[in-house]
Amino acid sequence: MNLNLYIKEGAIPRFFQILQKGFTMNVQVGCSIKDLFCGQFGVTSEYFEGRVQTIFLDGKPVDDANSAIVKSGSHIALSGAMPGLAGAILRKGGFYASMRSEISNREKVKAERLKEGVVFFKLFNLLLKDLGPHFLGRGLWIKGYDLERFFQKQSDDFWTGFCSAKLDGKDLFLEELISMKWPKRQIFLQVHFCE
Amino acid sequence: MDKILRINMEAKGGPVSSEGPMGEYAGLGGRALTSAIVSKEVPPLCHPLGQDNKLVIAPGLLSGTTAAMSGRISVGCKSPLTGGIKEANAGGQPSQVLARLGYTAIVLEGKPEDNKLYKVFINKEGVQIIHDNSLSMMGNYALVEKMISEYGDKISCISIGPAGEMKLAAASIACTDMELRPTRHAARGGVGAVMGAKGVKVIVLDDTGMKMRNPKNPDAFKEARMKWVEGLKKHPVTSEALPTYGTNVLTNIVNEAGAYPTNNFSSGRFDGASNISGETEAETEISRGGSATHGCHRGCIIRCSGIYNDKDGNYLTKQPEYETVWAHGGNCGIDDLDAIAMLDRLDDDYGLDTIEMGATIGVAMDAGLAEFGDAEAAIKLLKEVGKGSHLGRVLGNGAAVTGKVFGVERVPVVKGQAMPAYDPRAVQGIGVTYATSTMGADHTAGYAVATNILKIGGDVDPLKAKGQVDLSRNLQIATAAVDSTGMCLFIAFAVLDQPETFQALIDMINAFYGLNLTADDVSELGKSVLKNERDFNTKAGFSKEHDRLPEYFKKVSFPPHNTTFQVKDEDLDNLFNW
Repeated sequence: MNLNLYIKEGAIPRFFQILQKGFTMNVQVGCSIKDLFCGQFGVTSEYFEGRVQTIFLDGKPVDDANSAIVKSGSHIALSGAMPGLAGAILRKGGFYASMRSEISNREKVKAERLKEGVVFFKLFNLLLKDLGPHFLGRGLWIKGYDLERFFQKQSDDFWTGFCSAKLDGKDLFLEELISMKWPKRQIFLQVHFCE
Repeated sequence: MDKILRINMEAKGGPVSSEGPMGEYAGLGGRALTSAIVSKEVPPLCHPLGQDNKLVIAPGLLSGTTAAMSGRISVGCKSPLTGGIKEANAGGQPSQVLARLGYTAIVLEGKPEDNKLYKVFINKEGVQIIHDNSLSMMGNYALVEKMISEYGDKISCISIGPAGEMKLAAASIACTDMELRPTRHAARGGVGAVMGAKGVKVIVLDDTGMKMRNPKNPDAFKEARMKWVEGLKKHPVTSEALPTYGTNVLTNIVNEAGAYPTNNFSSGRFDGASNISGETEAETEISRGGSATHGCHRGCIIRCSGIYNDKDGNYLTKQPEYETVWAHGGNCGIDDLDAIAMLDRLDDDYGLDTIEMGATIGVAMDAGLAEFGDAEAAIKLLKEVGKGSHLGRVLGNGAAVTGKVFGVERVPVVKGQAMPAYDPRAVQGIGVTYATSTMGADHTAGYAVATNILKIGGDVDPLKAKGQVDLSRNLQIATAAVDSTGMCLFIAFAVLDQPETFQALIDMINAFYGLNLTADDVSELGKSVLKNERDFNTKAGFSKEHDRLPEYFKKVSFPPHNTTFQVKDEDLDNLFNW
């Protein structure tokens, strides 16, 4: 199922809840994390090096995004600069990285030929507003249950930002969207700005 | 700010105050001063609630000045929770106000012979100590309202709630914020119980008619202050992450790292993390007409706090911090922000340490008193503490006592104090600090301060195995020094990454006091603080066997990484060898 939502810009941050909980995308795997974001998603190298301060691959902090290789089924989470000792310890290549050496990503995998794969992503904090609209516009897969729960949790003010929706190319009215029972399987969601 | 106010609570005829010069404590502030006074004047083997213990309340070296972020206040004593020395600090207004009134410290001494309860009022005219048993068992919120009705709204308050009066080992001392709400707490180690034992319910401060403290070298101070602010404003943590999301921004990444203690430290991942993350919390606050960006005292430019309103848009509590959200949230399996905010409100009102209480309820849940994830049950348990029921008094004495009473092995404490929100099996370097800190398990004892700039103990190779102990040692030394300045620890990243910002901090101190301190001198200050604290603890009966994590951290692996704590005891024993 393919859901296209047209939403006023002010309501977009509500969708960040979905992005921090996690979503799936079809991408070319076999490359480094940095190549994935810069080569396939169009994130600039300057932004990636400067703004993306903490990276997890399969739940393990990454120190070098150039050598950490993405495989099909990988889980990747990105964060901006974080406070506190935990922030200092977990950030890539930080002075205090040894304080979490037991859980650091140390997998030695060489880049291979690119191929189709499915990767699970999470975006956190400062990166949500920077990259969130891009990923929402590009489209992502989330579980129907999570989508249903997301819509159920929204208060009235959220729906004032709703413009229109299409489900598999057909118009979907607001009342239908709110009360819709979504199947358990993955739904492809795209969120666009409307005037 | 050149005098110490001492209040003898057991003087014949009622409490008596006296003022004296700094004397041998000259040049000290904040934690350096509280630990110096406690280690010199308090018999290490005394009962923490007895007449020989002292409660020392000290602003930082730069409090009361125009230096941004200088509003932390330190509270020191022998801890009823750990049995060792304690320094707990808080934000809010009192540090600035007390410093402008000219006091480097208030020292509460002795113990009233009767059960009388007192309020202390301090303004430019002097000190009044007033018997007022009508305040008995009043919550902090109602208490502050009463003080406003009596003394006006230009005051700030340092107070205890019912938990302090009941002398519970998890009792905190509340400091009022800019809106005169009792939301900032010197929370750890049961300092509120010591204030309760002194019979002091509230200290009301009014600095009307007093001026900002003046530096010895105004031009140099102004220049350093501007560089200091510039440094804080340009760093992404202090200019963006903290103001936008507060400290709870850590929930998602600590959870992702598999280091987020869940269901009483039984695993490192919490399914409901995104429901209680800083990102969700900020969105909730804004959508309800609260605020996600708010300072806890005047002069704060990071503004990591916020205002949390209930579903109807009415004020409920300040923005619960990361540690609070974790303790009452993931650690108890609760992913309901409104329930967590209510628990935070109750903690503030009763005067309790949110970390200790969250850990305690987690242990209680492990014991079967409630199900993990049952928010209503957690609120009921906390209300038992407020009521002072037998169960409540057990819980109010913290996780260690609760674990003993209910026969729970998995009790996450060191020296009797509950661990904060990072499991040491996943982030082992923090485990070193938990184990060896003079304070008991404490994440702020070894903060991410600029040890790489300070070069304390020489250059450290963080990639060597021994590096974790070396790093923890250096962090603890640097933190002890920063705790003495009155600076908020959230300056850490800016001074960590930007040497010029760290230099600006030293330059401010030098310009203010007419000194020529170097980074080495700052290191020496940190070392001397730790030495005082360590010596006190040794005389109080602590040995290297107390510098250990509970046994299960070495034996029980921690999912998802399935690690155990690997740092050897002999390495921990070397931490204080510098």
